[in-house]
Amino acid sequence: MATGSDILKVTDLTHEVALGSGTLRILHNVNLSIGAGESVAIVGRSGSGKTTLLGLLAGLDTPTHGRIELDGQPISQMSEDERASLRARRVGFVFQSFQLLPALTALENVMLPLELAGQTDASDQATELLRRVGLGERLQHTPRQLSGGEQQRVAIARAFAAHPKILFADEPTGNLDNNTGQAVSDLLMALNREQGTTLVMVTHDEHLAARCGRQLHIEAGEVSENGVVPAQGVAV
Amino acid sequence: MAATQLARSNRDWRQRDVRVLVAALIVAVATVATIALYASHLERTLVTSASAFLAGDRQLERENGQPVPQAWRDEAERQGLATARMVEFSTMVFGGGNFQLVSVKAVSDSYPLRGQVEFQADTDAPRQMLSHGPGPGDVWLNPRLLRLLGLEIGGTVEVGNRDLKVTGLLIREPDAGFSMSALAPRIMMHADDVPATGVIQPGSRVEYVNLFAGADDALERFHAWLEPKLGPSDEWKSIQDGQALSDSLTKARRFLLLGGSLAVLLASVAVAVASRQYAMGQRDTVALLKTLGVPGRRISRLYRVRLLVWGMTGTLLGILLALPVFWGLASLTAGMLDRKMDYSVDVLSLWPALVTALVALFAFAYPPIQRLRRVPAMRVLRSQPGEAGRGVWMDVVIAVIAVFGLLWLYAGELWMVLALLGGLAALLGILALAGWLLVLGLRRVVGSGNAWRLALVGLYRHRRASLSQIAVFAMTLMLAATLILVRSSLLDDWQAQLPADAPNHFLINIGPEAVDEVRDFLGKHDLSTDELYPMVRGRLTEINGKPVREAVSKDREVRALNRELNLTWMQDLPSDNQIVKGNWFQPGQTEGLSIESELAQRLGVTLGDRLTFTIGSQTITEPVTSIRTVQWDSMKPNFYMVFPPGGALDGLPATWITSFYLGSSRKGILNDFTRRFPTISVLEIDHIIDRIREIVQQVTQAIEAILAMILAAAIVVMAAVVSATLQDRQREGALLRTLGGRQRLLVNSTMLEFALLGLFAGILGVLAGEVAVWALQYRMFEGAFHWHWRVVLLLPLVSAAVLAVFGRWQLNPVLRVSPMLLLRRLE
Ligand SMILES: Nc1ncnc2c1ncn2[C@@H]1O[C@H](COP(=O)(O)OP(=O)(O)O)[C@@H](O)[C@H]1O
Ligand SMILES: [Mg+2]
Repeated sequence: MATGSDILKVTDLTHEVALGSGTLRILHNVNLSIGAGESVAIVGRSGSGKTTLLGLLAGLDTPTHGRIELDGQPISQMSEDERASLRARRVGFVFQSFQLLPALTALENVMLPLELAGQTDASDQATELLRRVGLGERLQHTPRQLSGGEQQRVAIARAFAAHPKILFADEPTGNLDNNTGQAVSDLLMALNREQGTTLVMVTHDEHLAARCGRQLHIEAGEVSENGVVPAQGVAV
Repeated sequence: MAATQLARSNRDWRQRDVRVLVAALIVAVATVATIALYASHLERTLVTSASAFLAGDRQLERENGQPVPQAWRDEAERQGLATARMVEFSTMVFGGGNFQLVSVKAVSDSYPLRGQVEFQADTDAPRQMLSHGPGPGDVWLNPRLLRLLGLEIGGTVEVGNRDLKVTGLLIREPDAGFSMSALAPRIMMHADDVPATGVIQPGSRVEYVNLFAGADDALERFHAWLEPKLGPSDEWKSIQDGQALSDSLTKARRFLLLGGSLAVLLASVAVAVASRQYAMGQRDTVALLKTLGVPGRRISRLYRVRLLVWGMTGTLLGILLALPVFWGLASLTAGMLDRKMDYSVDVLSLWPALVTALVALFAFAYPPIQRLRRVPAMRVLRSQPGEAGRGVWMDVVIAVIAVFGLLWLYAGELWMVLALLGGLAALLGILALAGWLLVLGLRRVVGSGNAWRLALVGLYRHRRASLSQIAVFAMTLMLAATLILVRSSLLDDWQAQLPADAPNHFLINIGPEAVDEVRDFLGKHDLSTDELYPMVRGRLTEINGKPVREAVSKDREVRALNRELNLTWMQDLPSDNQIVKGNWFQPGQTEGLSIESELAQRLGVTLGDRLTFTIGSQTITEPVTSIRTVQWDSMKPNFYMVFPPGGALDGLPATWITSFYLGSSRKGILNDFTRRFPTISVLEIDHIIDRIREIVQQVTQAIEAILAMILAAAIVVMAAVVSATLQDRQREGALLRTLGGRQRLLVNSTMLEFALLGLFAGILGVLAGEVAVWALQYRMFEGAFHWHWRVVLLLPLVSAAVLAVFGRWQLNPVLRVSPMLLLRRLE
């Protein structure tokens, strides 16, 4: 599956964190690649390292060992600021706990990435997106005045605002009830399709995982395709 | 009960908001307590040091040549007062084969009751501070007199029929008052030797003075007893009456009060901000308690108890903190003045701190916490729109009333309270307008990758927080600016009043024939002299044809009426005088007179009133053509009444007076002078000036210390305010980084945003400060108001810089770790 149009390519990724007593190995020798436009679900038990992996793929942190290429750029070797500007241009996020800024209105939350990218019509674009996610009437509400599902929809609008090439979602429905979760994941998949975005999503939800083109299983820090641990050193 | 467990004080303690609240209270109480303690300490030292000017707490001066009755002193002693006697007169003495006119001061054993006599056993012996005068049979001479008489220590001076042995040199007496009768060089002897001299005959010009010292209430009681017995030539003097010094002291006392009041205000602001923050943070807990079924009444009680607990903790810690700070300050001034350190704490002076704590708690902290019981239980599920702003106006009104009531109670100066209130009102007015403009103007700014725009967008986004932060910063800065401005104008004032070359010698009794020669002499010795003023002594006898005693209402005590006034004429208005009404004499004008404004007020005299003076056997009558202020503390000859040259005083017998500066190393010139002009009196006031300088220096030190303390408190308040939004801002920073904001952009935009906040607050604060200073200056410190460009320009820049650094500092945790870790922490 390693093609020329891989948007994400991970080689021999190992991640450890220092604990008081020693080091904890969270990810061990991960190899994978994801093609442009693919949708990939990462599944695994709680504490298995999904969030850690996602963060590394998105360049929010640097791995202890190994190499990560995002859109052809070796992010594992880039400086924090270089990664930041790559994120600003190419990457969108949706978090399990929404991560909206409580002091800002829905509109302002969605405007954030647009402003960072230096767009002058941030307000119009954000309004349009909020309308698209069904919150056209709630522009001036702050997160505390919105329900969980509504908050996550704001977060999704924010994630797509800067037209990212790749979107990372960490259990986007994890804090929502079934119906709401369903609606939110519908929205996520729909926008993903519309914008031709690559989607990398951590989820517990088997239905949601099944709607992705591919599933990666993670267990005790090791990643396998559909539950099969790939042979050492072979890119999948 | 499990529900109350949620709201237990010790759990609370782990919350930042509570710690900020208690810290604010500690700072509040500590600042107010320190200033109050220090002010009372200073007052004590100043009064003691000022009382030394009288050699006692009060003086009874009697000019009619009759001794003060022994019965009066007995009564004073019955009231628990210490007493001492003094007799002052001028006479010729004989010693070393020479005659010399001297001014004698004869003192009893207990002299001085306050202050000390500076003494030298011989010309080259070390100087000593003594708490007594010469014993019977002894005499101490002014060193210059020793040389004039050609005597040695151990020699004999004949005072009338009595031979006295010279046992030392009188360097300085504590009560070296500035009075025109002290003309000749001084000798000091024992009061019991006076009768034997036979110098004092009925009709001699002699002044009997009694000194009293003791507790204030005893002095008051004694004065009440004494008052009906006093005659027209008796004068009861307290230190407040000594013009030059009392002006400085009054201003200093007011400054301390102002400093204390500002501390109270700052403290209140700090507590208000902190408790509001705390109440906001408690809303979720309250909502949860309500869902658990705790009734509102109980919740209120819960929070009241806790408020009380923190209140007591904060107050106690504040006072504990104040003590060492106070001792440090006190030892600083003590060290500077070579005085023994006075560690005693005036417990009564702690009340402003306690009342401040109470008021701060109940007017500022309580209302938002009280309102907590109204938080709807529904909040657990969803916050309700508009919840935050409710009832805030009521809080502000209560708080303003409470604080200004407190200030009034504390300072007792309505004007000061009004000035500060005016400044604050101006500030809030401008702020409301500016806030509206800010919202209007910034709405159009669209963010982009540019730090400037992001900063502006940030300001707009956080407009509610921004405006309240600006309000608090501006208030804090206004208070700081007020104090800085008042301080510098006060110090400038004093500096101007007592420059290094302030005149410290007076020449009195210069006959008309000697005027030119004296001018030559001073010129030759390079002694910068002000001017030679003619002086005619006369008594004000009539106002508009009515005898003064009738014209001026009885209850007004006008001392100037009891004695002869010094009248003068001059062409040019002295540079430190100011015409407040009417016009100064035109060239060639010979009519009219100019009167000093305070005396005019006390006499009830205005422009056009005709004043009649009796000079010897003649009387003159002139209309008032101008009223002028006089710088009494300028150490130059000052006059109540001035006539034009060639005016009513023309042809009347006059003597001239002048003042000049003479450094202590050149004192020898005075001997040449006295030899050449034996009839002219030299009045040496260099010791008085040194004394005033010393006091001013002490007060200055105090003022600087208080300023430093207030500024420190201001910074604490600002830090508390900034840290109130710390968490929000850190979350925002983390998210901005995740979304791809570069660190530099984040740093720049945050620093810019804070700098703008600081700049804006600084401008507002300094303008409001100027308003307050203008009012204060006008009423309380009697200085002329002028813009303080340096402060006006500097303060906003400094506040911008300080806040930018605050902003940068609070970003630190956001910048140091990876965005991943930040997000995990914020979950
Ligand atoms: N910075 C860190 N310090 C210590 N432990 C960490 C850190 N980051 C992750 N972990 C631990 O690593 C494991 C994997 O975490 P995570 O990636 O969040 O799991 P998942 O998202 O699959 O539930 C967990 O046991 C977590 O506690
Ligand atoms: Mg996770």
